[in-house]
Amino acid sequence: MLRSFAILLFFVTLAAGQTLTISGDVATPLTLKAEDLASMPRQTVTIPDADGTKVEYEGVELREILKRAGAETGQKLRGKALSTYVLAKAKDGYEVVFTLGEIDQSFGNASILVADKRDGKPLFGYQGPLRLVCPNDKAGARSVRMLETLEVVRLQK
Amino acid sequence: MRFWLLILCCFSLCAAEPEYNWNLPKGFPKPKVPPDNPMTAAKVELGRYLFYDTRLSINGQSSCATCHKQELAFTDGKPVGVGTTGEKHSRGAMSLVNVAYSEVLTWSNPGLKTLEEQALTPMFGEHPVELGLKRDGGVEKMLKSDAPYQAMFANTFPGEADPFTITNVTRAIASFERSIISGHSPYDRYHYYREDDAVSESAKRGEIVYFSTNVHCFRCHGGFNFSGGGEDGAFHNTGLYNPYPEPNVGIFEYTKRPEDRGKFKAPTLRNIAVTAPYMHDGSIETLDKVLDHYAAGGRAKDNPQKDPLIGGFELTADERHDLIEFLRSLTDEAVLHDPRFSNPW
Repeated sequence: MLRSFAILLFFVTLAAGQTLTISGDVATPLTLKAEDLASMPRQTVTIPDADGTKVEYEGVELREILKRAGAETGQKLRGKALSTYVLAKAKDGYEVVFTLGEIDQSFGNASILVADKRDGKPLFGYQGPLRLVCPNDKAGARSVRMLETLEVVRLQK
Repeated sequence: MRFWLLILCCFSLCAAEPEYNWNLPKGFPKPKVPPDNPMTAAKVELGRYLFYDTRLSINGQSSCATCHKQELAFTDGKPVGVGTTGEKHSRGAMSLVNVAYSEVLTWSNPGLKTLEEQALTPMFGEHPVELGLKRDGGVEKMLKSDAPYQAMFANTFPGEADPFTITNVTRAIASFERSIISGHSPYDRYHYYREDDAVSESAKRGEIVYFSTNVHCFRCHGGFNFSGGGEDGAFHNTGLYNPYPEPNVGIFEYTKRPEDRGKFKAPTLRNIAVTAPYMHDGSIETLDKVLDHYAAGGRAKDNPQKDPLIGGFELTADERHDLIEFLRSLTDEAVLHDPRFSNPW
């Protein structure tokens, strides 16, 4: 009952205007709502917390979201397309960059998650409702909290 | 021969002190402890008696607890510490809550890393006098002649012919100090235990301000303990003075590097609402004024060694209120009244 309420609360929160926007040099700019993310292929990542306990984040892989927006992937990610980066922006103005190359399975293959749940519960407070989880990063500074926008920028047209 | 070895091993296992139960809150890692001073329940309890014992001062007037009062998160509410003979310290008493997680100790000594070593300064230091003890055997003599201590030292340090040593005193006090863990504030209940009503909506908004790129308090007061991290990241010049007056020159006192002038430790913000006045010299009375200081980019904003992180920011009245509410949510009433940390005498 409580779990259902928490999930409902999450959807209400996102439905209240907090969405994930994918914009820039993509074929299909997107604005994803909670239900959109819920219907996409879901992944989990388990990483150690400060006390050594395992924390499980759940969400959608960043490359899956970019692929849906029409960003170049796989065989198409070559030549000038490799000059493309993704600017991840948070609600408070914080910004970090990933390249398409480091995310793509043919190159860096970094599995980065756009997470909406932690240990089965919706992200809340300064973490949510969406955040990035970068398990391959040694430092946590690119695991953007309060994620709002993914802007794709291609340097060489 | 093997039989006797087996018997010896069994005896050793039976006699071994059970592993210390930290009873850590969610989200808290196990603290590091010096290998030569493992935590034991007996040592922690002995340390508590010593911590509160006014006989551990030259005139019987003060104990560790005089400057580290439990109800004030083990601070004393004064701008600077006052020793047992009335001599003033140049800096304020730091909180001992969660001190087990501090990689470096005191406001400005990057080389001081163990509580055992630190305890010697208030006990025997002369500049200034804190407890004013002398290394003349008087402390050991008092301990040996006291019936409760006779039993506790024998129980805590079994097998030692003469356990009544200053080294053992500092080991016990350090163990007690490490046991003072605070992790049940409303913030912890909200975040780690998911009690959504544990903090106010204002505090929830304040948390976002705290972690925002604009205000970024978390860059110096980060992690689960809301404190400076590591030896390198612990000390900052926040632009309080230009120049910083002697003797409070920060870690420059030890490193002699000009860029270290005015660098003081970023303390934990847990229980910060009960540890006024603030900063190393207690020169700011309230949390509201601390925010004024940081919002202005420091009251001596032209200090050339000022940390670039102290760049100033703007807050609306609501954001300021929310941020202070968030800071108040870090107060753990349990640790302020836990009988395990109270005066046993």
